[in-house]
Amino acid sequence: MLQDIIGSKTVLFADGVQTVLRAHENRNRNVAILKGNLVNNSRSESRGINARVNRNGIFGFASIADYTPEAAEKVIKAATENAEFLSRHSSRSIALPASVCSGSVALNRDIVDVEQKRIIELCRQFDDYIANKYPDLSSRIISYAEDSQDRIIYSSDAASGHLVTPRCHVYIVMTAETAEGTPVEIFKAIGGFGSFEDHFSDPEKYYPDIDKLYKQVMDKKEGIYPEAGEKTVILGGLMGGMLAHEAVGHTVEADLVRGGSVAGPNLNKRVASELVTMVDFAHSYNGGLAPLPVYLDDEGIVAEDVTLIKDGILVGYMNDRESAEEYGMKPAGNARGWTFRDEPIIRMRNTCILPGKNTVEELIASVEDGYYLIQSGNGQADLTGEFMFGVTCGYEIKNGKLGRALLDTTVTGVAFDMLKTVDMVSDEVTWTSSGFCGKKQPMAVGMGGPHIRCRITVGGR
Amino acid sequence: MKTVREIGDSFDAIIKDRDIQKYTYTLSTSEKQELNLEDGTFKLMRTVFDQNGSVRVFRDGKTGSASGNDISEEGLNKLLTESIAAAESATEDPCHDIAPDQGKDVFRQGVDKPDIDRFIERVQELLDLMDKDYPKIKILGGVASIDRWNWFSRNSNGTEFEGIGGQYGFSLEISASEGDKTTGLDYVYFSTADLDKPFIEMADVKEHLQAVSDSIYPESVEGKFEGKVIMTPSCAENFLYMTIGNYISDRVIIDGTSQWLDKVGEKVADESLSVALRPFDERIVMGERGTQDGYRTEEVQVLEKGVLKTHLLSLYAANKTGRPVTKNTGHDLVVEPGDKSLEEMIASVDKGILMGGFSGGQPGTNGDFSGVAKNSFLIEKGKIRCALSETMVNGNLGDILNHICGISKEQCLSGSSVVPYIAVDGVIISGK
Repeated sequence: MLQDIIGSKTVLFADGVQTVLRAHENRNRNVAILKGNLVNNSRSESRGINARVNRNGIFGFASIADYTPEAAEKVIKAATENAEFLSRHSSRSIALPASVCSGSVALNRDIVDVEQKRIIELCRQFDDYIANKYPDLSSRIISYAEDSQDRIIYSSDAASGHLVTPRCHVYIVMTAETAEGTPVEIFKAIGGFGSFEDHFSDPEKYYPDIDKLYKQVMDKKEGIYPEAGEKTVILGGLMGGMLAHEAVGHTVEADLVRGGSVAGPNLNKRVASELVTMVDFAHSYNGGLAPLPVYLDDEGIVAEDVTLIKDGILVGYMNDRESAEEYGMKPAGNARGWTFRDEPIIRMRNTCILPGKNTVEELIASVEDGYYLIQSGNGQADLTGEFMFGVTCGYEIKNGKLGRALLDTTVTGVAFDMLKTVDMVSDEVTWTSSGFCGKKQPMAVGMGGPHIRCRITVGGR
Repeated sequence: MKTVREIGDSFDAIIKDRDIQKYTYTLSTSEKQELNLEDGTFKLMRTVFDQNGSVRVFRDGKTGSASGNDISEEGLNKLLTESIAAAESATEDPCHDIAPDQGKDVFRQGVDKPDIDRFIERVQELLDLMDKDYPKIKILGGVASIDRWNWFSRNSNGTEFEGIGGQYGFSLEISASEGDKTTGLDYVYFSTADLDKPFIEMADVKEHLQAVSDSIYPESVEGKFEGKVIMTPSCAENFLYMTIGNYISDRVIIDGTSQWLDKVGEKVADESLSVALRPFDERIVMGERGTQDGYRTEEVQVLEKGVLKTHLLSLYAANKTGRPVTKNTGHDLVVEPGDKSLEEMIASVDKGILMGGFSGGQPGTNGDFSGVAKNSFLIEKGKIRCALSETMVNGNLGDILNHICGISKEQCLSGSSVVPYIAVDGVIISGK
């Protein structure tokens, strides 16, 4: 845990500018076992201090890989000088955003470290379980990754605080061979927000998940290519989360709106069926913690939920302080940086489409000829709202019943067209917090969604 | 302030005190000066003073690694403690090893004394030209960075390498708009060691600006057809790196799932394709000089006239599988040019697409790919007809390399790769 050695340096904040001073530590623990071989066994930590100075819309940022009071002094000075230097080369001039909050956010929890030996033992236990029970797999990977963050934030005219975000996951990959000798893969992430013991004190509780994963890869080795074209599909909860993040979330980040995203001309207009409500949750969901809680962002804004789509109408964007001023919205804590080296940029937190009223069974039974898409490997989106998700696990649906498994494919569409085709939404939500979002810097994000029936374009042969 | 070499000398004493017989470490310091653009002007200036230390130790046939950015004496001691604990927790595996003695060397690369004022002039010159000649282009983000670094690595077999270098890097994230109509995003990047040429002439900057300007009114293809795809250099580079990862890298060779497991020496691609890793090519700005295993980096021919010459294996993977190690970590891609111009290649396509980017799921080990053709244009009867949206491409990495139907004379020099346009046949192209 970081000890606060920077608080006393706020006296160096200059008048007439907005300054944020941040201490930031990233901690990584990694182990990977490939088909029984320990191929990664590493630990790393990086810590440092940065400062960002906003001088009438021109920003100076400086960071140092050093954690001392002197380093804090240096970054404040260097960031101030950078803003001054750049003002000689830039035509930008924007009034400083109004102060919107103050006070201090208390430390939310601790990060508990674990010996590397325990991590290796955990991965070995999973690997032994799979190797002994499922010898017919052609390959398997057990990979543990912890990427925890610890931040102390001081701002000149917003809030301050000390926040930690511990996160650890085990990724399990299984490979099987088809009758023709072609490999097919499937994966699952287990774990989430918290430290090692929060998730892995009883590894055996994950055995049913592993057994299910094996069944899926066995189904997949008999799998078929989907038929290409626009189809009726049921997106599973993990796919619903990907939809929330990729298809919609990026288009409503205010920096992309400023860059010409399709969300710009659609504010306060219908962009989805009335069954769709979507929220970027800050730290809590449905009376409990959101997958990756954010209490304070790296501009010193106390985090609040942002409703993005309400009953199908686009009602909000995710902002930093400057864009919130520009769009007449309230900043809600979306500006974050990944390491001490990184300036805060607009990021999602826990983006989710809210549940509806149907059961999952009802959704599947309603499809005469289509696909049930369960797991996504990755996704991307564009300014136009055109998105794609890789689909790594899915099944065909014939006459309301699940059929053969699908080989890897990709689905695509234009978000605000596709969301208007949503006509059934299930009554539960599946969250995931294992992913990284890439946007100049990586960022850990949570995403979630219910099962959704919609029309989507499927890639295939 | 101590140099990384001096810190290394201190580290040696610490390692000796801890009675570690086999080890390898790398220490580095770096400085970044970065100018960030938004909406056509400079918005943020970012300075990063960074440093890093990484160490890997071996004990009784077991190995563990630790890294961190505290390279004070206390920090290095902590790194050693962590790496020893990791090694002692590991299982014994004699395949983990470090390269034999490669001697001592100092590598100086790239720009020594960067000129930030001239760099800003070059960026501003491009912005002014874009304003004038590409008025529909909108800059969502741009990063102009000057990076300098000094690294030092040493291992217990006697190898001692030091690298001193720097480069200019420039990237743009662009779209184009007219009224309410906006294109998708496009990206362009290059690195360089000098500022001799205007940035509009670097890499394929001009081609990207023109392509995005021409993409405001896209159409989707009708139905589904099997056709030719001409990949732009950046798109072709992406496909070639996916092929390397899926067919000849450590993981798929160790676990035996590679489709090219026993294909070294055999023809796996069209004979027009020759691919190499050339860190010493003068067109590569900061080519690799030492591998992660501690070898002196060598140039590697991966494919020669369609024949697979080698897998790309680390020392561990080589020991594990009994195959030769590759003295190259896998960067600095150079693809031999062909004998046709891009114009001739387009003219030879009856129906197909010019594909500027691929947005798709990560192909599985079998090489099947499926995704959206981004920044792409429909070609019909030898002419570009329109920009495309909502158009998918499906195929197999290994299959398309056997169906290459053209490689351009033109190559894109990005500073980290040299790649031409590559045309392939047999790709399933589908619309809504």
